[in-house]
Amino acid sequence: MTWLPLAHALAARQDLPIPAWLFAWGASIVLIVSFVALSVAWRKPRFEEARWHPFGARLSRALLSWPLQALCGLIGVFLLGVAVYAGLRGTEAPDRNFALTFLFVTCWLGFPVLSALLGDVFRPFNPWRAVGRAAGAGFRAIAGQRPAHLAYPARLGRWPAAIGLLAVVWLEVVHGASGGVAVGLDPETAATAALLYSAYTLAMMALFGAEEWCERGEVFSVYFGMFSQLGWLGVKGGRIGRRRPLSAASRWATLPGSAAVVIASIATTAFDGASEGPLKGAIESVFDRLVDAGVGLTPALRLADTLFMLLCFAGVALVYLLGVRGMRTVHGAPSLAKLRVGFAHTLIPIALAYLVAHYFSLFVFQEQAQFTYLLSDPLGTATTDLFGTASGGIDFTLLSANAIWYVQVGSLVVGHVLGLVLAHDRALAFWPDYRDASRSQYWMLAVMVAFTCLGLYLLSYENG
Amino acid sequence: MMLPVAHVGHYLWVLYVIPVLIVAAGIVRTLLLERRRRREERD
Repeated sequence: MTWLPLAHALAARQDLPIPAWLFAWGASIVLIVSFVALSVAWRKPRFEEARWHPFGARLSRALLSWPLQALCGLIGVFLLGVAVYAGLRGTEAPDRNFALTFLFVTCWLGFPVLSALLGDVFRPFNPWRAVGRAAGAGFRAIAGQRPAHLAYPARLGRWPAAIGLLAVVWLEVVHGASGGVAVGLDPETAATAALLYSAYTLAMMALFGAEEWCERGEVFSVYFGMFSQLGWLGVKGGRIGRRRPLSAASRWATLPGSAAVVIASIATTAFDGASEGPLKGAIESVFDRLVDAGVGLTPALRLADTLFMLLCFAGVALVYLLGVRGMRTVHGAPSLAKLRVGFAHTLIPIALAYLVAHYFSLFVFQEQAQFTYLLSDPLGTATTDLFGTASGGIDFTLLSANAIWYVQVGSLVVGHVLGLVLAHDRALAFWPDYRDASRSQYWMLAVMVAFTCLGLYLLSYENG
Repeated sequence: MMLPVAHVGHYLWVLYVIPVLIVAAGIVRTLLLERRRRREERD
C-alpha cells in the first residue's frame, strides 16, 4: 500500500466527505454564482431608501420608558460591578473566575450576534451610558440646566472606538496570551483594565456628553451598535420599529473611522486565528530576534504579537483598499474617498461571519461554564454554590468536530454573500448604469473570495 | 513505496489562494477584453 508521510501536513478531518480546501473552492463558487445572480436580477438599489415601519406607540413608550431604561442600566452596572469584584477578589485561575468568561465570552461574543438579531440590545444595558445619563440628570436637577459639553471634533469620528477595539483585543489576545484556557488573561488585570476603561469613558462622557461619546468613541457601543445595523429592529424618533434587514448598515459608515472599526474587527479575529497557525513561525522568528537584541522574554513576545496584529490590520485594510481602487477604474466612478467610505459597511457581515466562525465553539462550550459553575461560584473559591450549579461542567461532546466545521463554513459563506449584496446595492446607487455597477463589483467579488479563502484557511489550520 | 511529500503541508495554503487567483485572472481578462473592444469601436 502506498503510504503518504505527511509529517507536517494539516491533519485531514477523517470524517469530512472532502478535504477542507475544497470547501474554500465550493464557497468561492457560491460567491461567483451569487455575484452573477445579483448582476442579472438586482438592478435597482433597495437599501438606500429607509423603509421604516414603527410599532405601536404604546409598545415603544413601555420599552423606552425611563423606569425600564433605568432598570436595564442598573442591571448593567451591577453585572460590571460583579465582574470587577470577581476579578479583583476571586481566584487567579482564569477558567474558574466569572470575570473573564463574562467579559470576553458572554458579552464580547454574545452581544454582536444578539445585536444582529434583535437590534442594539447593549444600549439600554450599557453601564457607562447609564452612569453618564444618571450623572447628567443629577446635574440638571441640582444646577437647573443641562451640563455644557465640548463640541466633539468631527474629524475624530469613530477613530477612538477603532483604536479602543484594537486595545481590547490586544489585552485579551496579546497581553493575556497563554495556552490551555479559553481566555488567558489574569482576572485581576482584566478587572483593573475595566476600572481604567470606566474612568476614561466617564471622563469622555463628561467632556462630550454620554450619547455623543456612545455614538462615536465608546468602544462597546460602537462595536455592538455596528452589528445591530444588520438587523431588522431599530429605534427612530423615540419609536421602536422594523426596517428592511441590512438597510441600516448602508448609512452607518458615514462617520470618519467607521471603516477602521470594521477592518479592526476582521483583522483582530484573523490575527487570533493566525497567531496560533500560519503566523506562528514568523512571530517566533521576530520574538527570537528581539530576545537576541536584549529584550526581555515577555516584552519580546508582546512586541512580536503586537507587530503582527498591526500587520494583520494593515493587510485587511490593503485588501479592502485594493478592491475600492479597482472600482475607481470603472467608467463614471465617484472619488476614491467616496468609494472608501461608501463601501465600508459591506464588511460588517464579514466581520460577524469571522466572529461566528472563529469563536462559535468557544462560545457554546464556555457558556455552559458561565451558566453553571461560574454563575454559582463567581469568585472560583469552591466555597459558594449560589444557584446549586457549582458542580456543573462543560459537555464537550455537545458539538461534534463536523458540526463546528459546517457552522464555520456556513457562516463565512452567508456573511460574504451578504457583503456582496450590500456592495452590489451600493454600486447601483453610485453608478446610474447597472452594467457599470456590476462591472465595478468584480473587484469586491475578488475581495470577498479572498476573505472567504483566508477565513477557511485559518480555520482549517486551527482545526487541523 | 513512499512518496517524498513530508513537507507538503507547508504548501497547502496554495490550494486556498487558487480561487482568488482564478477570480483575479478572470477580472483582468474581462477588463482587457472590454478595453480592446472599446478601442476597436472607437477606431
